[in-house]
Amino acid sequence: MTGPVFLFVLAVLTVVLAPLVGGLLFGLDRKLTARLQGRVGPPLVQPFYDVLKLWHKEKIAVNRLHLVWAWAYLVLVIASLLLLVWQQDLLLLVFTLGFAAIALVMGSFSVRSPYSHFGGQRELMQLLAYEPVLLLTAVAVYFRTGTFLVSGILQQDRPLLFSLPLVFAALVIILTIKMRKSPFDLAACEHAHQELVRGIYTEYSGPYLALIQVAHWYELVLVLALIGLFWAHPWWAGVLLAVAAFFAELVVDNSTARVTWPVMLRLVWASCLTLVLANLAALYLIV
Amino acid sequence: MAPGLGWLVGVPVLWPVLIALLCLLLRPYVARAAVVLVGGGVLIAFSLLVYLQGPFTFTPPAVAGMEWHVLLTVLDFALLLWFLHAALVQRSLLAIVFTLAQLVPLAYWEFALHPQVTVEPAFVVDYLSIVMVLVIGIIGSLIWFYALSYMPRHEEHLHLAQSRQPRFFFYLVLLLAGMNGIVMSNNLLWLYFFWEVTTLCCYQLILHDLTAEARQNATRALWMNLLGGTAFVAAMIYLSSAGRSLAVADLVAKGGALPLVLPLALLCLAGLTKAAQVPFQGWLLGAMVAPTPVSALLHSSTMVKAGVYLILRLAPAYQGTVLSNVLALTGGFAFLVTAILALSQNHSKRVLAYSTVSNLGLIILCAGLNTPLAMAAAVLLLIFHAISKGLLFLCAGAAEQELGTREIEAMAGLAARMPFTATIAFIGMLSMLVPPFGMLAGKWAAMEAVAAAGSGWSLAAIGLLVAGSAVTVVFWAKWMGRLLSQGLPREKVAERVPFFFALPLAVLVVFILALSALVGPVSAGLVLPGVSAAYAPVLGVTAAALILPDGFFPVWVLGLIALVGVILPLAAVRVRPAEARPVYACGEHVAEGERFLSLADSEARLEMGGFYWAEFLSEGKLNFWVNLLGVALILALLGVSLA
Repeated sequence: MTGPVFLFVLAVLTVVLAPLVGGLLFGLDRKLTARLQGRVGPPLVQPFYDVLKLWHKEKIAVNRLHLVWAWAYLVLVIASLLLLVWQQDLLLLVFTLGFAAIALVMGSFSVRSPYSHFGGQRELMQLLAYEPVLLLTAVAVYFRTGTFLVSGILQQDRPLLFSLPLVFAALVIILTIKMRKSPFDLAACEHAHQELVRGIYTEYSGPYLALIQVAHWYELVLVLALIGLFWAHPWWAGVLLAVAAFFAELVVDNSTARVTWPVMLRLVWASCLTLVLANLAALYLIV
Repeated sequence: MAPGLGWLVGVPVLWPVLIALLCLLLRPYVARAAVVLVGGGVLIAFSLLVYLQGPFTFTPPAVAGMEWHVLLTVLDFALLLWFLHAALVQRSLLAIVFTLAQLVPLAYWEFALHPQVTVEPAFVVDYLSIVMVLVIGIIGSLIWFYALSYMPRHEEHLHLAQSRQPRFFFYLVLLLAGMNGIVMSNNLLWLYFFWEVTTLCCYQLILHDLTAEARQNATRALWMNLLGGTAFVAAMIYLSSAGRSLAVADLVAKGGALPLVLPLALLCLAGLTKAAQVPFQGWLLGAMVAPTPVSALLHSSTMVKAGVYLILRLAPAYQGTVLSNVLALTGGFAFLVTAILALSQNHSKRVLAYSTVSNLGLIILCAGLNTPLAMAAAVLLLIFHAISKGLLFLCAGAAEQELGTREIEAMAGLAARMPFTATIAFIGMLSMLVPPFGMLAGKWAAMEAVAAAGSGWSLAAIGLLVAGSAVTVVFWAKWMGRLLSQGLPREKVAERVPFFFALPLAVLVVFILALSALVGPVSAGLVLPGVSAAYAPVLGVTAAALILPDGFFPVWVLGLIALVGVILPLAAVRVRPAEARPVYACGEHVAEGERFLSLADSEARLEMGGFYWAEFLSEGKLNFWVNLLGVALILALLGVSLA
């Protein structure tokens, strides 16, 4: 079941299906958010219309490097997702996802645009907030399962959630940042509901903005899959868990306002690191 | 014909001495260049020969009836007396105290107590030594070559009556002799001598420009390193008076007498001073007043690496002790806090210096964990850090000579202005933090190791490790972003790169790429043999991947990802002039260039700068607490060893 042909087919399926799922989730997000705000909202498939429209717009750019990093971001996010479906090392997945974030930041710095730079700096703050938590999550999973390999984690019968509830809570907090949701949508929020100029995306337009949008779809699927990993058997329990987390994020997004970056750093580091380390200590003392 | 073992020890240690003397005597530039080039070439060749030979031991026979240890004793005291002289000239009370604290006990011990100071074999070369010899010989020589282009330009600005390059090259070259001596010696007393040779060279090189700042920083480097030397002497006397041998091989041998923890702690303290760990980071930060080749050498292949070498070398001896755990915390602490301190720096060499301390902290964290995997991670990190950091200093020096400043802000858009240097610097920085580069393989192994260590101590180490990693990414990304920050596409700039800048930069960047791709064979051929003497192998290796029972690092797959993700778009994406647009400035753009309409419709240039966290994380705010905790950890290190 793990021959090269199988892995290749799996990769193709992932590359094709993940954006469909991700795009639909984005559509759902917009619809529900609209309803929460008393609007009708766009159709469910609006994100696909948007991306198609962007794709056919005129190609304009500030410079070449700026575009190179947009591609890099997309490829690296897809690669991270592939590392997950190929059941690879969780740490490397986090590192590769980190590389993707760096690519996005490099893109924002490749132009001499104040808004883009703002976004880049803030994206770095966000990275600083979530990266240790993601790494610690991998370590916590190792403490529980004795392996960093996703293949090994999937062999566990008992859901990770039962022994790593605090780690899971920390991961959900991080999900807010990764989904670019309030109160941690500093670099640029997914719906432009708090800003006029979209930070890190300011200088991207047309097809290249579409690229980044599609990369976000992949990224959403990836982080939700990581959430689902906490209840991997039966598979639908994992899906339910991920969907629940997704809806929780929508509620949080619509009921909070953006915080400043020092507040974010303090909140996230204090809450998440405490949660994860407490969980680790408990595992260490009890087991 | 394979050279005799004597040559394999003699050339790496004595050849640089000869080259150094020739550099001192030959004043014309051409003669010096020829000597350095030939000398470096021979040194590289012999480093490779040592590698091809594999592990061996060697004891030099007496020459003309004179025993080597007599000569070394004479030189030892000559060095110490010279340090005393230097300390008096600089009026540094601390340096005087720490010189006397070595001189007096050493004289009493050697002349009144008549200890057994000869050790057979005198030189033991195993794979850890071979790794060091390769790093020292190859990277060190490349930095010599770089200095051939750097120093004439450096002196142009100074308007000296007489060139001081002979003196500069003398110490620059001599430093490698000391380093090779350190990594090959089996006799602690000999190791101590070479240790002090590096202290001497380091002091003289920092002092080189003779400014007030240079004097001050050189003096600080002197007393801090002499503090380490004092700990070294104390350890030797303690061992000897306890009836133990001074052979490093006996110290780390399994199944011997119970380890004496206190002398090991003292030797680790010596290692921590040389590796500029908190609270001794001051000397390394101060060292950047010296010309760039000095920083490149001190940070990459020599000096600080001698510190981690000693700690790694002794690791089997303190395995399973509380000392080992405290050492891990000391390293982890330095890893995190110096990365945080690097965040607020706008000075290229200060960022590099903090990053060095930070990475060495990571290596020491691994040594403290003291598991087979952690040790392998430490050696991997040591190799790749040496290459990347050497490269980055050389790039920083090239940029500095071109820009006339060391400020990172001044490097904005360097990718457009100095494409060759900036591209290589960018790859160098990227190699510190993303897959598939070797440094990341080392970090990956370190994290797997710290998770697998599974003790209460390692829980603390994990926290330091993950937090430090995240901060590391941020301070590098900030700098990398500066390099890229450019406006509209403009005419291609042809960068004039002096030959001896281009050569080492090109070679080192090829090393980074090639060795990262070959991290499997490198691990199998150097890293694992380097730690296998005392540790069971745990890391599986194929050409394409590193394999653990509970982890997998597919080097080539990750390489392919980077290739498709970055190199392919770099080659394929084009922007036609018709597609180019200026950046968004709220619709207030002035037709051409990066200007906008500001207050009262006056034109203003679009300016932007980096963010340096100065209000939150400046050195001024943090240094006191950082150093206080650093001192506390050092005291704890010694305290747990007294028990």
